[in-house]
Amino acid sequence: MIKTAVIEELKKIVGEGEVLTTKEALKAYSYDGTTNWIREPDVVVFPKNTIQISEILKVANREKVPVTPRGGGTNVSGGSVPWMGGIVLCTTKMNNILKIDKENLTCTVECGVVLQDLNNALLKEGLFFPPDPQSFLGATIGGIIAENAGGPACVKYGVTKQYVLGLEVVLPTGEVVNLGGRTLKNVVGYDLLHLFISSEGTLGVITKAELKLNPLPPSRKTIVAVYDDVTKAGETVFRVLENGVIPGKIELLDNWVINRIEEMMPMGLPRDADAMLLFECDGIDEAVQKETEKVVDISKKYGATDVRVAKDTDEANRYWMARRAGFAAVFGKAKTVLSEDVTVPRGKIPDLIKKSKEIAKKYGLELVMLGHAGDGNLHPSFLTDISNKEHYEKATKAMEEIIYAAVELGGVLSGEHGIGLEKQKFFTRVTDPKVVDLMKKIKALLDPNNIMNPGKIWE
Amino acid sequence: MNSRLIDKIREIVGKENVLISEEERKCYSFDARAHGSVPDLVIFPKSASQVSEVLKLANEHNFPVIPRGQGSGVTGGAVSISGGVVMVFTKMNRILEIDKENLIAIVEPGVITYEFQEEVKKHGLFYPPDPASHKYSTIGGNVAECAGGPNSLKYGVTRDYVLGLQVVLPTGEIIETGVRTMKGVVGYDLTRLFVGSEGTLCVITKIILKLIPLPESKATLLVFFREVEDAAICVSGIISARIVPAVMEFMDRASVICSEMANPIGIPEETGALLLIEVDGDEASVKAQVEKIIPILKEKKASEFRITYDPKESEALWLARRTLSQATYNLNPVKVAEDVVVPRSKIPILIRKLEVLSEELNIPILSFGHAGDGNFHVSIMIKDEPRDWEKAEKAVREIFKETIQLGGTISGEHGIGTLKSDYIDMELSREALITMAKIKKLFDPNNILNPGKIFPKYMKF
Ligand SMILES: Cc1cc2nc3c(=O)[nH]c(=O)nc-3n(C[C@H](O)[C@H](O)[C@H](O)COP(=O)(O)OP(=O)(O)OC[C@H]3O[C@@H](n4cnc5c(N)ncnc54)[C@H](O)[C@@H]3O)c2cc1C
Ligand SMILES: Cc1cc2nc3c(=O)[nH]c(=O)nc-3n(C[C@H](O)[C@H](O)[C@H](O)COP(=O)(O)OP(=O)(O)OC[C@H]3O[C@@H](n4cnc5c(N)ncnc54)[C@H](O)[C@@H]3O)c2cc1C
Repeated sequence: MIKTAVIEELKKIVGEGEVLTTKEALKAYSYDGTTNWIREPDVVVFPKNTIQISEILKVANREKVPVTPRGGGTNVSGGSVPWMGGIVLCTTKMNNILKIDKENLTCTVECGVVLQDLNNALLKEGLFFPPDPQSFLGATIGGIIAENAGGPACVKYGVTKQYVLGLEVVLPTGEVVNLGGRTLKNVVGYDLLHLFISSEGTLGVITKAELKLNPLPPSRKTIVAVYDDVTKAGETVFRVLENGVIPGKIELLDNWVINRIEEMMPMGLPRDADAMLLFECDGIDEAVQKETEKVVDISKKYGATDVRVAKDTDEANRYWMARRAGFAAVFGKAKTVLSEDVTVPRGKIPDLIKKSKEIAKKYGLELVMLGHAGDGNLHPSFLTDISNKEHYEKATKAMEEIIYAAVELGGVLSGEHGIGLEKQKFFTRVTDPKVVDLMKKIKALLDPNNIMNPGKIWE
Repeated sequence: MNSRLIDKIREIVGKENVLISEEERKCYSFDARAHGSVPDLVIFPKSASQVSEVLKLANEHNFPVIPRGQGSGVTGGAVSISGGVVMVFTKMNRILEIDKENLIAIVEPGVITYEFQEEVKKHGLFYPPDPASHKYSTIGGNVAECAGGPNSLKYGVTRDYVLGLQVVLPTGEIIETGVRTMKGVVGYDLTRLFVGSEGTLCVITKIILKLIPLPESKATLLVFFREVEDAAICVSGIISARIVPAVMEFMDRASVICSEMANPIGIPEETGALLLIEVDGDEASVKAQVEKIIPILKEKKASEFRITYDPKESEALWLARRTLSQATYNLNPVKVAEDVVVPRSKIPILIRKLEVLSEELNIPILSFGHAGDGNFHVSIMIKDEPRDWEKAEKAVREIFKETIQLGGTISGEHGIGTLKSDYIDMELSREALITMAKIKKLFDPNNILNPGKIFPKYMKF
């Protein structure tokens, strides 16, 4: 338990009203985007600026109290759960967009800015920030950077890392450092910037970010390809890319997801299809036209039973809304969802799907498959119930097998959701101990008292 | 180094892969710009395990090891500051795999950039990072410097194409980092920590690279302006029209004059700035992009432009830009070259500042480079005499000060090495430098791997 004197000190730093200690409040900050892990903090603080964060960390470092940074709390790997109690440092009140620089295609934002708010502001300027985690209504820039989040647009545009030019970071000892800068190129000294991106709140608190933006593509088109066999859909993905087309997005939805979407909001999706692929081509008119034709041809050639091109934005929007609803559909349908985030080389997508189906069959479980097929990042999911011990254990075991299958196919544990609490066990098993050791040493170097988000990644 | 140690090293890498004679070793005491000390030994390892064994010896016997590709670096990175072993990677030069389905390739560090680019082209693929030195630089050197090039506005820099690495740590452990997939968050990003670490944190022995489909066609435009401000406005105009050219190279007045004197291509006399623009994609989209660019050029006061869709003719339009680097030596025998980056919109401010500085100090200062990402190369041309060196030193400080004030950085792609290490603290805070130094000590406790680089001399290891 944290000392009352420390809480008093925190109140002095951020103001009485920005410190929560009531039972209900602590409960509200005890879980993440799932409810798979629950642990209450001793106190929640809402700093308003970098100096306050620095002061908080100095106190925490002196008292050796754990600090867990938290943005929107939408992550699904336990990253924002205060596993060792202590302070939850919630950044939602640092939500100013400080500058949008149209000429240089950059913006400066505080860490607590919600992605949707940034997107809206950028839209007005004809710009966009490509990384698009489907939790954009709640996810903050700080959380997105800390997880190196991705989304459908990453096939073409790459993940968050490619869009962070500079960061202001408060180190666990309270020092404020600026890493990177405002320019597209920078090779001055070691790349600490990228060390902080995807560090899951374990190395310091990100307080400000300089982001790279793209001009909004003037034109886009959505294509739906329907399959009677999900593995054929998997093959189409890499055939399209192999033929020189890089669509803005390629998403995969399986039969189960299609049907749940149809139940939630009927929109005429093919309920008997084994899977569908959703493509979006974007860019200048002429290029989009041509890419769309190619995608249609290739999908047909590799076994799509039906291919449609959305005739207008309305129709296109409906498909994308369906895709967004997909994740919610999965999570809404069961007490507990085990949803993975494996990524395999694109050419191995069909193998991964086949293998996952076999595993599901072996354990007598229903498998749900959806994800960002374009970059090989899939979210195979099992619906289960943590209170039904037998079923839950079966699901956990089956999922383990899927993860190992992905690794065997040359893939990785996590494409975008992070290790957090969820994948620790696998992380230390599939990662070279020498590498884990090196990471631990870096952690110890920057955070000698292990106060930043302890209990995550490998512990 | 005593002869027993030399024998041990010869045993590890094989006699035929060791240079002992002084004349031969001398050839490895400089890079494209810096002179250093003559190494005690030059070796050409053939595998990661050989590298590992040599590094273990180095820790035991405390001698420096300097990784080296082709020595085309321009900041002294591959040059020893005091003897030791220079480890050259030109014999680890195999392309191990080109995987068309997954758009990746695996290479050894000594593969020449250009040869790799040509090889993947045969498969309809494209490896964008394109330093002007690509005909002789190695991929390993590119990764160690995080090299960039003209097309990085659209395609990014080397960092964006490195998915994973095999490296040997200074203490001899061989580890693999990163992934073979397009995405992956698996703990801390060691891969990117190693990219750009200038051979001071690890020796790179294998590289997994991302490839993209080769654009079908391109168009090249050569555009002249009277004033640098007009060129800058034109660049903004193109970008706000939502066109992202693959290339937007820029030359200032001094560069234009210098190039025209060496290789006349008929640049109008009053030209104060030149842009070389390239758009790529499939044929239809290239045409469409050009059609959008032309009215912008006219509206933004371009005085003249030339255009071609033909790759051969494009070479002719590139001539001025390509031959410029060499032509600068017609002005004076010594080049002090900087590699600053400013936010794109600040380019004219910096260029004007350079013109003033050139006049004040009475030495030629030329700037040219990548307008798209604000990265340009400033060449201060001097005679090899103390007074000129003094002037150059003064100019460099001024340029860096202005660059940082404009929100820029003092090195976009060439690295720090030995030549820029005295200036690094103009840009990085004490805390940031100390953190970096701690990382160096963590990885290399005995400071045997490429010592004396990056950090200012007053920082002790
Ligand atoms: C419905 C749904 C859909 C999703 N879709 C996607 C998707 O498509 N792609 C994807 O990548 N993810 C997705 N996610 C996961 C999640 O939204 C992302 O991981 C997101 O980046 C988390 O942002 P957040 O602000 O909610 O961070 P939080 O959940 O609050 O925190 C996430 C991690 O970041 C750390 N952190 C937060 N802020 C900071 C800071 N300022 N400084 C340092 N560390 C910090 C925390 O300690 C924690 O470890 C989805 C989640 C849900 C619930
Ligand atoms: C005319 C000319 C034009 C140039 N144009 C550009 C340009 O447009 N863009 C650009 O970015 N650069 C440019 N450069 C700089 C230079 O070519 C690049 O830095 C290049 O990446 C160096 O490659 P190299 O193989 O010659 O490396 P070297 O010069 O041999 O070494 C460079 C650094 O990398 C380290 N290193 C080399 N191999 C390894 C390895 N296997 N493991 C660990 N460390 C290693 C060395 O220790 C050294 O610090 C130019 C140079 C010249 C001479």
